Amino acid sequence: MTYVLNRLLSLILTLFLISLITFAVTNILPGDVAMMIMGTQSNPAALAGLRESLGLNDPLLVQYWHWISGMLTGDWGTSLIFKKPIAELLGQKMMASALIVVMSMAFALAAAVPLGVWAAVHRDKWQDTASSTTSLLGVSLPDFFWGIVLILVFARWLGWLPSSGYKDPSEDFLGALRHALLPAFALGLGLMAHLTRMTRSTMTGILGQEFIRVARAKGLSEATVVWRYGLANAVGPVITVAGLQIGYLFGSIIVMESLFNFTGMGWLTYQALLNRDVPLIQATIFVIAAVVMIVNLIVDLLYLVIDPRIRLG
Amino acid sequence: MRKFLTPKGMIGVVMVSLIALIGILAPLLLDPAMATKMHMTARLQAPSAAHWLGTDQLGRDLLTRVLMGARTSLEIAVAAVLISVVLGLPLGMISGYAGGRVDNVLMRLVDTLLAFPALLLALTISAVLGPNIQNTTIAIGVAFTPYLARIIRGEALRVAQMPYVEAARAAGTTNAAMLVRHILPNILPVVIVQATISLAFAILAEAGLSFLGLGTQPPNASWGLMIQASRDYLEKAPWTGLVPGAAVALTVLGLNMFGDVLRDVLDPRAK
Repeated sequence: MTYVLNRLLSLILTLFLISLITFAVTNILPGDVAMMIMGTQSNPAALAGLRESLGLNDPLLVQYWHWISGMLTGDWGTSLIFKKPIAELLGQKMMASALIVVMSMAFALAAAVPLGVWAAVHRDKWQDTASSTTSLLGVSLPDFFWGIVLILVFARWLGWLPSSGYKDPSEDFLGALRHALLPAFALGLGLMAHLTRMTRSTMTGILGQEFIRVARAKGLSEATVVWRYGLANAVGPVITVAGLQIGYLFGSIIVMESLFNFTGMGWLTYQALLNRDVPLIQATIFVIAAVVMIVNLIVDLLYLVIDPRIRLG
Repeated sequence: MRKFLTPKGMIGVVMVSLIALIGILAPLLLDPAMATKMHMTARLQAPSAAHWLGTDQLGRDLLTRVLMGARTSLEIAVAAVLISVVLGLPLGMISGYAGGRVDNVLMRLVDTLLAFPALLLALTISAVLGPNIQNTTIAIGVAFTPYLARIIRGEALRVAQMPYVEAARAAGTTNAAMLVRHILPNILPVVIVQATISLAFAILAEAGLSFLGLGTQPPNASWGLMIQASRDYLEKAPWTGLVPGAAVALTVLGLNMFGDVLRDVLDPRAK
């Protein structure tokens, strides 16, 4: 319990640091919000007035305080390019991204775990070589290249799936899945390659251990030895690595969602950066970093539930 | 050395040397102007004797562009990794060696930076500084620093507990001398392995940034930019996207294979 409390306290401290870094980085941006709103040709007096009313002339610390207290009370400001409340915008886009992040993670785990175990069981045989060559190829190609290839094959040539766009699952569930399938698959390929390598190395270590020899000596079937004894011990590390990949995924969705015109968090972040929509940039970066931290915490706590050996304090 | 003689090791070494050679020699052997020279009459031509890998949407020779792109990608990747080593090495080394409060504060900062996805951090920095080759390099270098610092810190922590470090301390070695003479040489293998693997990631990051228009800017030849430009012509001229895609893949593949073998040879933790 103390461990969980400590982790929660440290999460709060980290979130505070995240907010400081986010605010600092976005404040170096040249050009200012007032200019963004009124355009470069606007009347200097009006511009100065708007600057004053937006609080842009206040000291940075005061500006930070306004921003962070707004974030904490749910007043996240208005996007300059979308002219909508940022909180509402982020809520929608986060749900869209959650769909492809969860789908790609599920796909990556479903393929990587059997493939990694298979390679470890047949260590140094052709199965191992085949699996490690495939995963090396997977990590070496940029995911947007996979995206383009998938669009070409499944959207243009075969015509099975749409090549771009997003549908709300609550309105058209099947349509939403069809639109999410290609970006999720493209995201999952690189992830799968990474997780396969990880599963293989963890399983290789486990299968060489004493208790596995004992299990085999007891006459248990190979399947029981590998899946019940071996994999049970590999689940923790594999889940931890998978959890850490959430950060990687939230980086990759920026490229992938822009490629597929899938209007989620990544697409939104990209639009904000391209158009220098400072309030939106601050909010998206802060929210993404916060989500990454929170997911990591959940994974760590999950680890405690899965593996009783490491229940600390 | 024997480990370099495995098929994987050999392929990795050969691929990395070849790509490095291309990066160094391409601008000397080829006319750089060729890479940006447009021929509107020769647009989107399939590979032929005149253009071995075909031409792009502006009639530029793809072979020249992809070879010149190697220079751009490698230059950015090498410089970015150097930046992350220059920033991350002292950070990680001091943190791991000093321990205690210094370690706590520095690693809290590093962990916070790690919460920002590297690509997001690089994109933001590039957008803030304004996208060009120099700023893309800085952006990728800074974004990779926390990862390197974390790994170096762990390694420095391990080395700092070695008996020879204790012996040196008993002999009155100053902290600065200790870091330079005893810690640094012993963590160097891990730094080299990590830098090689980071190179592969830096190539991917540069391609990603340029693909989004926040990296290398046209008319420079960059693999990410070439893939971006090929999007609208893929059906008619798939080679415009496949050629730069293959270039990225081969380079990263070579670096990954090289890095894997290097780890087997150099990293004391690897079996």
